Amino acid sequence: MPFKAGNISPDNQERINKILEVIIAYAGLDFTKKTEVKGSDDDVLDAIGAGVNMLGEELQTSTISLKEKEHLLKEIHHRVKNNLQIVSSLLNLQSESIKDPALLNLVTASRNRIHSIALVHEMLYASVDLTNIEMGDYIKKLSNNIRNSLSIPGSDVQFEFEINPCFLDIDRMVPVGLILNEIITNSFKYAFPNGKGIISIGIHSLHGRYILLIKDNGVGVPAGFELEKNSNLGLQLIKILTEQINGELNINFENGFSYSITFN
Amino acid sequence: MNTLIPPANALNLTSFKTWMGDDGICRTVTKELAEINLEQAMENSVAVSSLYKDRKFPLLIDARNIKYMSKEARKFFSTNGRDIKITCFGIMVKSPLSRVIGNFFMGLNKPEIPARLFDSEADALQWLKQYR
Ligand SMILES: Nc1ncnc2c1ncn2[C@@H]1O[C@H](COP(=O)(O)OP(=O)(O)O)[C@@H](O)[C@H]1O
Ligand SMILES: [Mg+2]
Repeated sequence: MPFKAGNISPDNQERINKILEVIIAYAGLDFTKKTEVKGSDDDVLDAIGAGVNMLGEELQTSTISLKEKEHLLKEIHHRVKNNLQIVSSLLNLQSESIKDPALLNLVTASRNRIHSIALVHEMLYASVDLTNIEMGDYIKKLSNNIRNSLSIPGSDVQFEFEINPCFLDIDRMVPVGLILNEIITNSFKYAFPNGKGIISIGIHSLHGRYILLIKDNGVGVPAGFELEKNSNLGLQLIKILTEQINGELNINFENGFSYSITFN
Repeated sequence: MNTLIPPANALNLTSFKTWMGDDGICRTVTKELAEINLEQAMENSVAVSSLYKDRKFPLLIDARNIKYMSKEARKFFSTNGRDIKITCFGIMVKSPLSRVIGNFFMGLNKPEIPARLFDSEADALQWLKQYR
């Protein structure tokens, strides 16, 4: 599309069009295009052409290094994920020789915690911008992992999701992932003695804050249950990690267990 | 004033003529329509360094005739170029083309020693003198 201006000779119009073609190529991140510079004195078009050419050269190197950075970041997430997986496999191997159920529990719990972090890196590695994770995707994957790890043969625990799309970076996804892991794990461990139940998970956003709701329709706790007295590592982790993301935690155990966590 | 006419004993390079002035300021003048690639840049650097005796000196580059300076040449001049033997450099520009090239060199490659563009030879010499 020629840009017409008054009083330009056809020859110069042609040269202007060539320079514009190069600029348009740069706009499409093709920095290999160059315009011809005759090198005549006092020729403004030559000066513009040379300037555009040099800009292209500089941009080419900076975009390549952007790609390299992206590559490095991917590499890091990949390695972190692999290393966490190695730790997890080691625990798995170890657990095969453990007879004590309490110890076995501990090892399984550690393994699942590591998994929930590894999943963040795995998903970051595959994410578009290498920075943000779609929380719904994460929750679905995590839930299935936990079910595969904890459900007893013949049991039937279903998930219900009500998820509005939202993206979290690694600094919030890791704590949120660990919180989810503790809560879902508890439901599998305590809520469904007969192996049947539903775990509902919802994410909503309200006034720029996210609300995470997790609920099971399990047996709940006996009357007179005091949360403070019965809190072990799981509930403590949930509290600490909620504080870490400046969130607000509410726990209700009247009908099954339900949690709401509000955070920015 | 014109102190940029190469004397008979000036070093004659592919794209430059280079010599030491009586005022202790080194000069290097680009030839007509000079294209400066890495090779020419290195050649110039060696020539300028060969003029070094016992103390560093300022350098006046007459780039008014320059046609092209490659990215590699720009980078060479600004980083591992001449900063070992010279205290600073001034670049003379005139045509729009030399002005654009000069500004790119200064802006994007950030020389590590004092450097400035000039369009007056007198101003350039005045500035360079303080770095002798
Ligand atoms: N979803 C649930 N249903 C019934 N009881 C639960 C549930 N979640 C937690 N609890 C009770 O709260 C206690 C504390 O949980 P937690 O701090 O995670 O420690 P742990 O899982 O190691 O027992 C559990 O021992 C259990 O009695
Ligand atoms: Mg627990």
